[in-house]
Amino acid sequence: MAKKISIDPITRLEGHGKIAIFLDDAGGVEDCYFQIPELRGFERFVVGRPIEELPRIVTRICGVCPASHHMASAKAVDGCFGHQIAPLALKLRDLYYHAHYIHSHIAHFYALAAPDFVCGPDSDPATRNVLGVVAKVGLEIGGAVVRARAQAQKIQQIVGGRTTHLVWCLPGGVSKGIKKEELDAIRPMVDELYDFTQFSLKLFKDVVLGNPAYVDLILNGPYTLDVQQMGLVDENNAPNFYDGKVRVVDFQGNEICKYAPEEYTQNVAEHVEPWTYLKFPYLKKRGWKGFVEGIDSSIYCATPLARLNVADRMATPAAQEAYEEMFSTLGQKPCRALLAQHWARLVEMVFDAEMLRKYRDDPEITGDAFRVVPDRITGEGVGIVEAMRGTLTHHYTCDEKGVCTSANLIVGTTNNNAAIHMVTKKVAKAMIRPGAEPTQGILNMIEMAFRAFDPCFSCATHSLPGQMPLEVRIFKAGEPHREFRRGC
Amino acid sequence: MRTLLLGMGNPILTDDSVGVRLARDLARDLEGVPGLEVVPECSVGGLNLIEVLSGYDRVLIFDSVRTRGGRPGDWYRFTAGSLRETRNLRNVHDVNFATALALGRRLGHPLPPDEEIHVFAVEVEDDATFGERLSPALEEAYPEILGEVRRDALALLGAGPPS
Repeated sequence: MAKKISIDPITRLEGHGKIAIFLDDAGGVEDCYFQIPELRGFERFVVGRPIEELPRIVTRICGVCPASHHMASAKAVDGCFGHQIAPLALKLRDLYYHAHYIHSHIAHFYALAAPDFVCGPDSDPATRNVLGVVAKVGLEIGGAVVRARAQAQKIQQIVGGRTTHLVWCLPGGVSKGIKKEELDAIRPMVDELYDFTQFSLKLFKDVVLGNPAYVDLILNGPYTLDVQQMGLVDENNAPNFYDGKVRVVDFQGNEICKYAPEEYTQNVAEHVEPWTYLKFPYLKKRGWKGFVEGIDSSIYCATPLARLNVADRMATPAAQEAYEEMFSTLGQKPCRALLAQHWARLVEMVFDAEMLRKYRDDPEITGDAFRVVPDRITGEGVGIVEAMRGTLTHHYTCDEKGVCTSANLIVGTTNNNAAIHMVTKKVAKAMIRPGAEPTQGILNMIEMAFRAFDPCFSCATHSLPGQMPLEVRIFKAGEPHREFRRGC
Repeated sequence: MRTLLLGMGNPILTDDSVGVRLARDLARDLEGVPGLEVVPECSVGGLNLIEVLSGYDRVLIFDSVRTRGGRPGDWYRFTAGSLRETRNLRNVHDVNFATALALGRRLGHPLPPDEEIHVFAVEVEDDATFGERLSPALEEAYPEILGEVRRDALALLGAGPPS
């Protein structure tokens, strides 16, 4: 082509994160709004379709955590068919999901969190990336990261037949089990992944905890919120990513509620603000009290750290050890220091690897009773799992023929929308000083606030540039003052 | 020469599906081209792309794009070399394409060179609404886009015009 085209990507109207910061007359931060995009129309899109098709469709909601949607949807569909499910299928789904967790957490830690801590939060943006991390920690570790991710993905492929667009869960179970030779293929990968999770934990301790400035930033910086905590737990109040009850504790550790998935509408409601399409879930029984911190606030976090905060223990020994060390070092439980999310993810990875070991050694895991065919339609189901980015709820109804009549979803990041908004404002206030012009380094420090949540924005779309652009607009006396753009 | 033809996008997200549709339509024309493999629907990104592209000598990627002032139906062709300047960390979930390529090469993965990674990107209007059809503007432009893209892709692959 003779014509030279300059690719200067901008984004769709609501297609990127926007932070609008309003300065007062003195140049300090008066207000801050964080707006994120939302894909539209999914709940309408699925009405009229056979309910058992939904788990196969929902994987396309999100390219980042498709398995979370697949699992939550499968559970909701199981509910529509009277919760008739093969016990082996529960184990297989859980096994798959732990591999999916490791795959996701590795990417977040090494590609997103590590650049801030290994390269430094105010280092040159050109090198503050995974390449900069590899340059610092060495090619060998870079190779190990890619290898571990590939192994976690391979396990998913072997167990569920596919990775991204899973078509595995069916009403009453799954479409395939694991053969003995498949288990043999998984066996060595599980041990390698366990070692990798322990290595990652050590790396965090060496690089982050070994640097007093980072510890100070985590514990004493503006990255804290006194809001309530949410996560799925088993009967012993240990975290469970696939099943259990939703437990909510306040930031002092007192239980506020613990509810079964079917009771979510009695416990969570969604507030609407005129300046964003995304809703703000809150604790319904407390009522909407605004974007406020405090022991009576109805705002909550549903994140890796929140999952550990609501738990009394971990279900596996090495994860228990890591969990105890984390809270002991942080000196508080629940911990409100949001940057500790990165540590919590690594503790969760240890748990995931131990669960993979448990299932690998389970003599029943290669059985063939992985599905029962449901014989009745009950018409309504709620499926809740812990997506990597927070508690994920799918709620469906269907008619007597099994045709979907309604769907409601509360996705992981939506739970955290209020908290992200609040902490972004808090960090902006702390970082932008009256009289001093904000820099790219300050922009990154503000970004770190919401990056800790690993927020899931418009992730079903893959349009180039294939990244989430961010725009920060600063207003002074109501007029645009400065603008920062990344990838916009 | 091993060549991969890759359709990127979400088939149920209105215009985001255009890359998938192009890959599917072109696959029919390109049947029998030696060494050609077609993955018409791919929705992974970041580090996963290292594995998707490993082992190929040449890749043709079909995707959607939003650019400043772009009109739905415009399309661009460029190679991965044009992505170099977007290597900074920006993605909230994963690394971007250019970074994945750079990391993969640094770690010794057999990835095609930048000049053999050909991206065909179609300007889109709506990639945020769930739906199985393209937006009207893009649907109207689609036959022309397909014709032009087909011509370029066939020339690139050294294949004759479709019968």
